[in-house]
Amino acid sequence: MKIDDFLYELKETLEIEDVELNEETNLKELEEYDSLSVLSIIAMIDENFGKRISGQDFQSITTIGSLMELIGMENFE
Amino acid sequence: MNLDSKNNKEKFGSEIKKIEVYLPVKILKNSTLEKEFSEWSANKIEKKTGIRERHIVNEDETSLDIGFEVAKKVLQGYDKSQIDFILFCTQSPDYYLPSGSCILQDKLGLRTDIGAFDYNLGCSGFIYGLAMAKSFINSEIANNVLLLTAETYTKHIHQKDKSNRTIFGDGAAATIIEKSDKEGILEFSLGTDGSGFENLIVPNGGLRKKYDISAKEIDDGTGSIRTDNNLYMNGPEIFNFTIKAVPIVIEQCLAKNKTNFSKIDYVIFHQANKYMIEYLRKKIKIPEDKFYNNMLHTGNTVSATIPIALKECLDNNILKDGNKVLLVGFGVGYSWGATIIEV
Repeated sequence: MKIDDFLYELKETLEIEDVELNEETNLKELEEYDSLSVLSIIAMIDENFGKRISGQDFQSITTIGSLMELIGMENFE
Repeated sequence: MNLDSKNNKEKFGSEIKKIEVYLPVKILKNSTLEKEFSEWSANKIEKKTGIRERHIVNEDETSLDIGFEVAKKVLQGYDKSQIDFILFCTQSPDYYLPSGSCILQDKLGLRTDIGAFDYNLGCSGFIYGLAMAKSFINSEIANNVLLLTAETYTKHIHQKDKSNRTIFGDGAAATIIEKSDKEGILEFSLGTDGSGFENLIVPNGGLRKKYDISAKEIDDGTGSIRTDNNLYMNGPEIFNFTIKAVPIVIEQCLAKNKTNFSKIDYVIFHQANKYMIEYLRKKIKIPEDKFYNNMLHTGNTVSATIPIALKECLDNNILKDGNKVLLVGFGVGYSWGATIIEV
């Protein structure tokens, strides 16, 4: 998946309107990030990459870049 | 003993005869949660979880109380002397011992020459209850089973636990399963994976880790606070588990019943939350008009969600006589199961 497409998907998933996302964006500092958006991200990753991120790994996520590393950088172009 | 007697037996099966629901009087609305948790929006909760309000027991009201209320309701207009087994499913029991089902036998004025026991399961509890009721009837241990699924998870939840207070509600369902001349409860596929037991748990209060009056508050990082005396749910892990387990158990259940989706009229999942079961529906490619997704006024009532949904579908003529309905329960344990019933 192209990184731009991923960022767009993530924005849609989190229903973010007024903030531009990039790899440096800290997910946990986003106003929209809560226990419900975690479920949405899991669904989005399962749908697009067929991968499951463990609850423990979710705890360690900070930036969007760190989420991409968990998914596996080989999945991005 | 006449060894041939088995071959001369008439063929029979079991069927769900009656379902009743009881919801506690007190209601917790999203608008109240919004006031308590500044960053929570009532509209967002409803949009994502499909929940607008949930019923909550009072401090002095227990699973036994709501189980009693719903049992009285289902026995109205029913010859209660016919009930010869009580199955009581709860994870918020009144006592370690005795079984709530024994107390209920007496309170309900049921016969004393009947069987009764409690079992500890959550969101898979109704499916397992049907499996046991069917087995007891088919093996002639019982003819008319009273299955009670009564849950008061809110007693386990910390007042500052935003996520769990949003998702869970209290409620009870009573289902009567009777001997019948045809089989209305078809084959089951059940599943268990205890490796995930810590992901949905009340850590303290049992005999391994006793209730700790000075247990420290734990912040989960998304605005929810609890202690180890309370219910803990690792949402991401539970979602991962369902994504993995539910499609497989459905496939197994359809295969065991030698059928396929085209012959199933309707599907009722454990009503966990709208977002999660809608994602599973799409993933498994179940048509939207064959799928129930409604917990607007109840929230996730654990082992009571499937019979609540089933009753709503029957009352609203969503289900018609002869319909084949796939039921799927999944959650705490991990424990899961699926079956097909004919209504």
